[in-house]
Formats: sequence, structure tokens, C-alpha cells
Amino acid sequence: MKIVVCVKQVPATTAEKRYTADLRLDRAAAESVINPLDEYAIEQALRLQEAGAVETVAYLSMGPESAAEALRRALAMGGEEAFQITDDALVGADQWATARVLAAALDKLAPDVALMGMSSDDARGSLVPGAVAAIRGLPLLSYGAELQLTGSTARIRRLTASGFDILEAPLPVVASVTDQVGEPRYASLKGIMAARRKTLETWSLADLGLSSEDLHGAALTRVVEARPPEAKAPTERVENLGPAEAATRIADWLTARKLI
Amino acid sequence: MSNDICFLAEFDGGAPARSALELAAGAAGLARESGGAAVALAYGKGSAAGAASLGSAGASRVVVLADTDGPVIALAAAAAATLRDDAPLALLAPATPNGRDLAAALMGLLGLPALGPVRAVRIEGGRVRAEQSTLQGTVITVSESAPDAPQPVIILALSGTFTPLEGGSGKAAVTTAPPTDAGALGAARVVESHPADAAVANLEEATVIIAGGRGVGSAAGFEPLHELAAALGGAVGASRAAADAGWVPYQLQIGQTGKVVKPALYVGCGISGAIQHRVGMQTAENVVAINKDPDAPIGEFADLFVVGDLFAIVPELTTEIRRRKGMTD
Repeated sequence: MKIVVCVKQVPATTAEKRYTADLRLDRAAAESVINPLDEYAIEQALRLQEAGAVETVAYLSMGPESAAEALRRALAMGGEEAFQITDDALVGADQWATARVLAAALDKLAPDVALMGMSSDDARGSLVPGAVAAIRGLPLLSYGAELQLTGSTARIRRLTASGFDILEAPLPVVASVTDQVGEPRYASLKGIMAARRKTLETWSLADLGLSSEDLHGAALTRVVEARPPEAKAPTERVENLGPAEAATRIADWLTARKLI
Repeated sequence: MSNDICFLAEFDGGAPARSALELAAGAAGLARESGGAAVALAYGKGSAAGAASLGSAGASRVVVLADTDGPVIALAAAAAATLRDDAPLALLAPATPNGRDLAAALMGLLGLPALGPVRAVRIEGGRVRAEQSTLQGTVITVSESAPDAPQPVIILALSGTFTPLEGGSGKAAVTTAPPTDAGALGAARVVESHPADAAVANLEEATVIIAGGRGVGSAAGFEPLHELAAALGGAVGASRAAADAGWVPYQLQIGQTGKVVKPALYVGCGISGAIQHRVGMQTAENVVAINKDPDAPIGEFADLFVVGDLFAIVPELTTEIRRRKGMTD
């Protein structure tokens, strides 16, 4: 049994962000981390490996050369090997192109489970898992609070408004998980040392049998404008009022905005 | 190709979900600008019987994909066949787990451009343009499909992006999608369902959210928040700290690893407003914060920041709102 965890390098949540002159995020300018949601996918894969349900955990990332750092960090948490897709033709890739490229790489790696975080922290579209499943013609088990593997089937526990459901599909599958799978581990010093000796293979688009034309350049979408958010009205502060007076002030504020 | 605006219309418990009513209004508005029709792709139990009712919500045509519950991604092949026939200008999809999965499968199957979650959509010179708040709200971008990209462009919309029509009287023509083999995307099935004693509110559809954080202190501490939510006709949400502590179910968690919400009113009680929470609620239209720490970060971005004890203020506020609304026990 083999799991490939898809990992995206994103700007740190608290990092300052800038756009380049051609309206793309200046990824070089911001401190980068493993997408926080992907860390849960890594944790889920490693827990399944520790429980003996999985032999191999590998990582796959598409991004600039510097994204190798995210893969090294993942390997320091555990797992055996990593694959990076990097190509100048992928600069500015949108969700469709990303899904197309990951699908081609996953076809090559042929894991039993392609596992992803439920969303990326920078764009928050959550479209890549479903699109990869559709492109590869595989079942999707999404938004899992837990992934279980038994024999030839995969199961997820998905929280619903009224409890939880268990969803099941025959392997191989594409799956995504939430932060309910358990807190991601920290890389130990030993893990960091071991990661340096693990295989990290780099692929170009051509290695996947894809060309820039297959990807409509690198995107089916384009950004036509990027600007800072509008300055908002200053916060109205209410201090040193008794509870009843404070409540009246809030109610007046809500009434003035027709919210009551 | 057409200038139609399609939208995904989910039915829940036999009636259109709020997202369906919001997207119907959004699609109707855009269709007026594009010179096309607002077309619903309806699914979920009750969608066959209720399809015509989407007319008063803004739809002029409804295609019923399937009158069943279950993983919505299984309907991707049927939806793809419908979209291939019409090639509408845009497809609006709710930014809910089901809506995103179906939209994602359509993006993959048909090779379609996708944008969102958006905060506004408009048509300029015949092109659909979407405004997004990205990178934790640090940048506003306007995007569109690339030249020569196929139609439709998929637009993910958070609940609250469009306002449902009121008193609409339109009639919608209803057709049923021909049966389509779902293929592998239909292979994921719900094999067990474990309902809880009490269902939690669907935060993604709430227009008023009363959220509690670390400052609420306990499960019992959420009781006054529930009472305030009831008085305002809203739902209770929480920060990750409160959900992790087990004071509320995880489904109520708002933020980076939880839900992203866009209510008309958000009231944060005992929530500090760390970036991880902020990214889940920063597009709320009105933000009120009650916190006893005058230096809490939420005081930097709330519209109204009340420094004080939530346990003293919230019950008084509930009483005052009930009085103004003429509510009695």
C-alpha cells in the first residue's frame, strides 16, 4: 500500500505579501511554509504507516525550485521519498493547470491513495482534489476527519451537520482531509538528518509527457488587477460602560444598520 | 455557446437550500447583463418536485440532475453533459464542500477555468470578471478567463455574496437531465450515517453568527451566546480554541482550518481575533466584538468594539434585542 501526499508550499499565514508587476504573488519575497492544511494530510499518512496499513509514504509538490524546501521538511516528519515538478512553463499556474499536472504525476506514481489537505492557505479554492479525481477517473473521498484503509477499500469519516457519515470507495482513490485527523508532528533532529539522505527527484513538464500547450500556457484564468484592500472605516470603540448601557449601545448600532 | 448563466441549486430537506436562492438571484442579475437566461442545475431530494419554485427565485430554466441525496460529485457526468450542450457564459457554484467538489469535477472533466471564492462578480464587455480577496485578505484581485478558454467559467461564491430575491413571481421551465453513467466519480458511497442527538446549525448559510472564543471559558459559557443567536435569528460559531477544547462541535469552527463565512452580522465574544480566525470571517459585512482585553487584535478590525465582560453584556443585549423585536417568552 502506497500513499502519495500532495504538498504545496505557501507564504506563511502571517508573512507580508506583495504582487509582482505582472500581477503574480511575489513568492520569493514572503517567508514560505508547508501549507498548514497539508501538514494534516502528512500526519494522516504517517499514522497509517505507523499502524502498518501503509508501506510507503511519498510526497509530491509542484512549484518553483525553492519548494524543494517544503518537501525536505515533509521528509523530516517521516516518509520515504519525494517528487518535485518544477518548470518555467508552470509559472502562474492556476487551479486547473495544477490539477492537470498533479494528475499526470500521480498517474506515473500510481499510489493507492493520493492524499491532500482540504484547502490551500493562499487561494482557498479547494478544487484540486476533485479535479484530480475527475481527470484521473478515480473516486474522491473528500473532507475526511479520518482516513482508514482496509484491504481493497478506503473509508473516510466525514463530519456532517448532524453527526458523521462514513464514505467508502474501492482503491485507488483521491482523498482530502481536515484538521480533525490529529495534530501534525514536529520534525525531530534525527528526522531532519535522515531527510537529507532521502530521495528527492525532480521532474519537468516533459518528464510527465505534458507541454505548455496542453496547459493553455499555464492557466485558463488570468488576473487583470491586483490592489490593496479598501481602507475600512475606523473601529468604533466603546469602553467604560456598564453592561446595560453597553448592550443599549450595541442594540442602537444594530438598529441603525437595520440588523434587528 | 450561449450567454446563459448557470448555477448549482442544492435542495436540502425537500426545499431549495439558501445557497440555491442566493445563486438564483445572482445568476438572474448577471443574465440580465449578459443577455442570456438564468439556468439552474438542481440536485438533492425534493429537487424534482421543487424545481419550478426556483422560478420565483430568479431561474428561467431548471435542469434536474438527480432527485437523490449522497455525494454530489457523482452528478458530475450528468452536469457536464448539460453544460456541454449549452456552453453557458458562467456557472455559479456554492463554496460549500458539496458545491466545491462538483465544481472541481466539472473543471477537471471539461477543462474549465475556475475563479473564487469571489466577493463580487460583474460582466464587463461581455466577459465575466470576479473580484477576490486572497492571501488572508491582504490583496484584492480581479480575474477573468484567459482568452480562448472554454465556457463556462466556474465561479465559487460564499454564502452572502448574493441576496435572494423577495416576492419574485417568475416561472421556470423544468427538464430532467438524461441518465448518465457516473463512472468512477460515482463509486464513493455513504455506507454509514451516524446522526447526533441534535443537529448543529449550518454556519455556511447563516446570515447572523454569534461566535465564541477562549474567553467563553466552557461549554456552559456558550449558553448566553445561543440565546443571543436565537434572538437575532442566527447561529453560533467558534474559534479553533473553543472547538479544540470541546466546548462546541468542530463543525462550528470558523477560520483557517475550519469554515469560511460571510454573514451580514458577525458578533465575536471573547475572541482575540488572531489571523487564523480572521481569515474565516473577514468578509463579514458587519463585525461587532465584545472582549474584556482592550488590546485584543479584533479591536483593530471590528466595526464596533465593546470592551467589557461578555457574561454581563451578552444577556443584557439579548434582553434588549428581544424587547425591540417585541418577542415574548
